[in-house]
Amino acid sequence: MTVPSSPASAGVPAVRCRSLGVSFGSVRALHRVSLDLAPGRIHALVGQNGAGKTTLAKVLGGLQAPDTGDVHIAGREIPPGDVRAARAAGLAMVHQHFSLPPSFTVAEALELTAARPGGRPLYRRNELHRRWRDDVAEIGGEAVLSTRIRDLPVETRQSLEIVRAMAADARILMLDEPTALLTPAAIDALFERLRRLREDGVTILVVLHKLREVAAVADTVSVLRDGELVLGPNEMSEVSQGRLSDAIVGPASQADRAVGVEAAPGAEQQTLLELARVSSRASAFEPGLGGIDLSVEAGEIVGIAGVEGNGQRSLVSVIAGLNAVTEGSVLLGGTDVTRAPPARRRRRGLRLVPFDRNSEGISRRAPLWLNQSALRLIGRRRRRLPLISLRQYKRQAATEMDQWRVRYDAVTQPAESLSGGNVQRLILSRELAPGLQVLVAAQPTRGLDFSATSFVRRSLRGLRDAGAGVLLVSSDLDELFELSDRVLVIYGGRIVAGFEAPYERRAVGDAMTGARR
Amino acid sequence: MTGGLQRVASTILLVGVSFLLTALILWVSGYRVGDVFSGVIQGSMTATGAATSSIRWAIPLLLIGMGVVIGFRAGFFNIGGQGQFYVGACSALVVTLGWRGGPAPLVVLCGTLAAVIAGLTWSLLPGYLRVRFGTDEVLTTLMMSFIGALVLQYLTAGPLRNPSGTGQTAASERIPEAFRITDSSGVSATVLLLVGGVAVLVWLLLERTRFGLAMTLVGRNPTMARWQGVDVRRVGLVNFALSGALAGLAGAVELYGPAGRLVTGFSPEVGFTAVVVALVGLLSVGGTVVAAVFFGGLQSAILFLPIVTDLPPPALVLLHGMVAFLVTVKFRAVRLRRTGPASEAPTG
Amino acid sequence: MEQILATTLRSAAPLVLVATAGVFAFRAGIFHLGLEGLMITGAFTTVAVAEATGSVELGILAAIGVCMALSAVYWWVIGPLGANVIIAGLGLTSIGLGGTAFALGAIFDRRGSLFTDVVLPRPVSGITSGPGVIVSEHSILVWLTPLIVLAAWVVLRRSRFGLRLAAAGEYPFAARTAGVNPSIMRLQALLIAGALCALGGAELSVGALHNFTENMTNGRGFIAFVAVIFGAWHPIGAAFAGLFFGFADAIGIQSQINITERVPREFVLMIPFVLTIFAVWLGGLWRRRSLEAEAGYAELREPDY
Repeated sequence: MTVPSSPASAGVPAVRCRSLGVSFGSVRALHRVSLDLAPGRIHALVGQNGAGKTTLAKVLGGLQAPDTGDVHIAGREIPPGDVRAARAAGLAMVHQHFSLPPSFTVAEALELTAARPGGRPLYRRNELHRRWRDDVAEIGGEAVLSTRIRDLPVETRQSLEIVRAMAADARILMLDEPTALLTPAAIDALFERLRRLREDGVTILVVLHKLREVAAVADTVSVLRDGELVLGPNEMSEVSQGRLSDAIVGPASQADRAVGVEAAPGAEQQTLLELARVSSRASAFEPGLGGIDLSVEAGEIVGIAGVEGNGQRSLVSVIAGLNAVTEGSVLLGGTDVTRAPPARRRRRGLRLVPFDRNSEGISRRAPLWLNQSALRLIGRRRRRLPLISLRQYKRQAATEMDQWRVRYDAVTQPAESLSGGNVQRLILSRELAPGLQVLVAAQPTRGLDFSATSFVRRSLRGLRDAGAGVLLVSSDLDELFELSDRVLVIYGGRIVAGFEAPYERRAVGDAMTGARR
Repeated sequence: MTGGLQRVASTILLVGVSFLLTALILWVSGYRVGDVFSGVIQGSMTATGAATSSIRWAIPLLLIGMGVVIGFRAGFFNIGGQGQFYVGACSALVVTLGWRGGPAPLVVLCGTLAAVIAGLTWSLLPGYLRVRFGTDEVLTTLMMSFIGALVLQYLTAGPLRNPSGTGQTAASERIPEAFRITDSSGVSATVLLLVGGVAVLVWLLLERTRFGLAMTLVGRNPTMARWQGVDVRRVGLVNFALSGALAGLAGAVELYGPAGRLVTGFSPEVGFTAVVVALVGLLSVGGTVVAAVFFGGLQSAILFLPIVTDLPPPALVLLHGMVAFLVTVKFRAVRLRRTGPASEAPTG
Repeated sequence: MEQILATTLRSAAPLVLVATAGVFAFRAGIFHLGLEGLMITGAFTTVAVAEATGSVELGILAAIGVCMALSAVYWWVIGPLGANVIIAGLGLTSIGLGGTAFALGAIFDRRGSLFTDVVLPRPVSGITSGPGVIVSEHSILVWLTPLIVLAAWVVLRRSRFGLRLAAAGEYPFAARTAGVNPSIMRLQALLIAGALCALGGAELSVGALHNFTENMTNGRGFIAFVAVIFGAWHPIGAAFAGLFFGFADAIGIQSQINITERVPREFVLMIPFVLTIFAVWLGGLWRRRSLEAEAGYAELREPDY
């Protein structure tokens, strides 16, 4: 208490760390990372998946104790892995994943997670509301305090995370990939908010994925690669886009060749997938479909654009046969499969890249070969004896994974040991096997690094060129514009507009937000 | 296969620790552990008839335990083996006593079939609730177990009670000797062939069929299995049906084999012990065979022990509890406690 | 009728106490199947120590101590050691059931049961007719039960401790973000649950009765567990569910006396179990909607045990 500390005093970096190192088993997540962040600026941190961005953010925030090195916040040393100390020093974090328990009301969640002094062990409801009334003024006022977190829209949750972080008058705000789940409009609003905080003298460190976003908001940029800091922090004006990309990808990495894709083009049938006035029931997340008409021809990529939560999930589930159709019909290669179970659709050549790789695309705890062989389990029986040879299954899985350059040690290792890009390769190696007619790809590049993204995009293009049909659902407009022959916009469970190249970003955006009908 | 070896080693170690802890409790309570130990060796192996008796007790454990293995393979905690075992035995008894005059092979076959169907039904109800409504199966199978015990109690104390019985616990009439498939030792070529055959079939199903692989997939991640076109509900129902059928079969074997009649609350621990057996057997068919023989030996020994020491039989329940308490401990968790990858939130 | 209500209170009190224990465990994210084992351990320890020292208070204190110690070991096994919660819980139950029966033989050289004259005081007694029968002959613990439930409600729903506990159970990541160690929260919840189970067991052995009998809990721990689910993890809800199961039990006891001739006793005894299956089914249906709404979080939930 004797040393007067003023957090933003000139010369003292807001955040300083020296030779941080973190390892998980044999994996080196961070290695000798030293970083000084000047106060009152917006600092961006970029890097590929697995480069260590999240780990660094966690170490700085005290959620992860480093093996080596130390962290100083506003000139004070923080004991390793001490969340409370980091917070007391004025640092607040907004995590990549939402950090508020879904069943809590907003008031309860704030009381739990925001470090505001003056809370007594016991409380009454209206007392809580009084405490937090002013903080939520911007996101809906007092009424929102008794809403449960799970009932809030995604944007409001994100805003609430910032409210929570700033509630204790933080001087340093860290955001870990805050844009991942947001719409373009919400991203703009978020950046505006960050700029306002900067004007109030708050230091901001934001982990970002897209260079466009970095250019839009950051004052300085730092790049992590394989756990090492390879660039920065540099002023944005000093680094060219090209140098940034090189730093992120690294010198040794050469681009993959696209993998040859075999598809059985529907010779007689040109329309491979057709939805006629399809409706379905709403789920807890999304509106149901309201009479969707849609067709995918052989040799084309049809893009589905839309703000997340407008029925994309329902659409893909209905095509996959996981959700029931209440009205209308679904045709695969000219055959009505409206009532057909998922297995029969799969056998007819429907292939899927699901929204969430890790929970829907693979089984993390199952061995690689079983993940790779999943589609063979529902194939039609060819032999009379029901017995199978595991060795043959494993050999075939290995062959196909090698063909798609999945990096692994043994086919028996669990799928959770693969990185995000490798998981997507594994999924593609399974789904793009011979027999494919139509591929429904949902967010196929979300969260992937640059090289994995371009690999997936090349594969989709190769598929189209081989005569297959692709339905591409994505929230990344650049991706849709780059790949699609046509783009349809889904809004409130309906297709509200269709576009063909050259695309007009503004018009598509208007349709997505319902500004244009 | 070092991972597999490590699992075997750690399981043996954990079972060993459970035994040491139990021995410690016996020692503190004033029993001579050395006497108990030699009693166990005698009662499970060296005494006359002990080895046979070990096999006799291993048979129900093995049949029910394989049902547990099947359940866990698809991610279901079907722990109601006790009740399925009881209603199986009861159904076989009803068929047998109701058709006393029939030709022995046919009656036994029908009785066994009835037992299988009864066990299957007892398991399918929780199974249906699970796959259709997502009702948690741990509690429902447990409750069905309690109900099954009451069904047995009702039959043996009520309609099927042996009126001339004098024991303090109610028991049914004996089935005619012609219907028995073993003598009172409980072991015969027929039974061994039957159990061995069932074990081989279960192994083939789990390890060498596409359905078995689909079960594994459902057990590891049902969402992914659904996306891959696996009919998760069908897999779940068949899974529960098989588990129950095996437990029901165990009931029939018990009746036509060593028991010859049903006594209220017989073998009260066999269902839970079978879960322990399956876990100690690392949820594999081969391991379960070994574990079943091991725990069958203990069961045989505890019945023999009063002859050498005055150890109360509940000591065995205590031991089973110890093993269950510790057998699922993961050593990996200890080693990586400080910085496990689990502490890193999943990234895309 | 008065008799049925009186029996309801007597049957319900241990259920409600153990159900409250279950609510604490459940809120911390633990599917606690060891309640039965803790309950019978509490019943036995109370009788054993009360009989040895002549003091029922000492008996209850000892029971609380033993049950909390067992709970701490259970936490150590499922937490730092990473054992399966359900299997270890069932193991704990077997340890309790087998251990008490074994100790009965080993320490007291008895088989079956152990009687004691040292029992809990009964604030109101001796009323034999009229509505007063309802409140007569109940041990002090029955009277205290509503207070305990109320205290549990305040702790769980109106305290910062309760918020931390719920966060640790529902979404450990949130707890860690708030600087809370979820594992320690689980330990605290289990210790509280252990103490409450000890009280429930004590009420059973020296409150309602004068003895300890092998397997005297007879599935009550599991029924209490179901009351937790039926009561939607809420202390008041669980208490009412416990009361309801107590009522069903009371009717069963009454009909054993009155109508055994017509309805076999076993069928009456099945009622709680059948109701339990219904309760789990309905409770699951009810809870599924909220779970669906949380499904977006499911993938973020860390396997944290």
